[in-house]
Amino acid sequence: MTKSGILLALCIMVLAACTQQRSPCLTPKTATLNVETIHMATDSSLVPVDTALPGAIFVALTQNGADSFQYTQQSSQFVLSLAPVTNVCQWAFTTDSMKYHNLFDTLTFYYQRNLQFLSNACGYTYFYSIDSVRTTHNNVDSLLLTNTAVTNNVATKHLRLYIHTQY
Amino acid sequence: MSLRSICAYISILSISLVALLSSPALYAQADTTATDTTQAPKPKKKDMAGHQLCLGVDIFHPIINNIIGNQTGYEFAADYYLHNEYYLAGEGGWGSANVNYSDLKYSTTNSFLRLGFNKSVLNRDGPKDWDMMMIGMRLGFANITRSAATYTVTDSVWGNSDSSHVGKSFPALWIEISGGMRVELLKNFFAGWNIRGKFMLNGRSFNDLAPLYIAGYGKGDKNSNFDFNVYLSYALRWDKKGVKVVEKVVEKDK
Repeated sequence: MTKSGILLALCIMVLAACTQQRSPCLTPKTATLNVETIHMATDSSLVPVDTALPGAIFVALTQNGADSFQYTQQSSQFVLSLAPVTNVCQWAFTTDSMKYHNLFDTLTFYYQRNLQFLSNACGYTYFYSIDSVRTTHNNVDSLLLTNTAVTNNVATKHLRLYIHTQY
Repeated sequence: MSLRSICAYISILSISLVALLSSPALYAQADTTATDTTQAPKPKKKDMAGHQLCLGVDIFHPIINNIIGNQTGYEFAADYYLHNEYYLAGEGGWGSANVNYSDLKYSTTNSFLRLGFNKSVLNRDGPKDWDMMMIGMRLGFANITRSAATYTVTDSVWGNSDSSHVGKSFPALWIEISGGMRVELLKNFFAGWNIRGKFMLNGRSFNDLAPLYIAGYGKGDKNSNFDFNVYLSYALRWDKKGVKVVEKVVEKDK
């Protein structure tokens, strides 16, 4: 192969390397609802205790059935998602998968959806504005909505779940 | 982009350009050894350059867009010499882009126009020396037409949702700073390149779906872009009155 042939082949390789694929999406695509769990030492106490739940289970109650997420390690921080196809969705929740008698609580979220164009690399997603949250009270004592805007900002905490002293 | 950001951009650009254009270092190198402060002020140099209208075509974007495959862009340029190394400059062209991803599909076409000026920062060897190293500024405008767009929001837990946006037309407005050079390779034929920093002024107006590619600007979902052009140009020239006489006098002096 002559020198000019090698040069031409190199040029073709360089140009081929420039061929554009879809750019990688570098931002989180899904808006996440970040939950933290807290419990008090006693019912009358005002001081929260570190509440790492031993084996929490969150179950998304979808139209096609249930989709469960089991946390195998202790945690007090949980990540949920809201349904992009409706303005209301439900999650079932229990504190410890090992306690067979443990009852589930149902968290019901009511919200508005806001379509959001992220970029051509990431496409569209939904951000949410939460109107209200309701819960049953088997393990959950009460809840506090700390931020109603659910976006792809993973650092924002949205919901605080106060767990009964004896969970 | 907020009004504050736009103001900041414009301020930075203006200050940079004023600093560059008024820098005595560009012109005064020959005078740096002079120490006699009582010397009479030198008479202003008469601008002996004639008229020049330069017409060019960008060869970089057609090649690179052909390689990329899903977009096209064609660009023509013209500049006219005003005086004191200032050129009135403009570029125009058209282009298109086609997005065909699994979760996003649409196409756009646009035409664009950029107007502004160039300033040559090279000292001329003589009135017939048109080689230049330049800096410049432009205001760019594009008229974009987008087809109906279909999209899918994917969610592995709750299921996907499909929807669409109707097609529409909208404008884009941006400012640019540029720098580059141009060399006369053959009589009246130039080759040159420039780099450009581009800053979108009205990006928020099409935040619902920013075009993948705007010919003349670049990536439509970015508030700033850097771009590169390679121009081949032809110059049309005609003399100013008296320029030939002055040139003869200059030659005699040599």
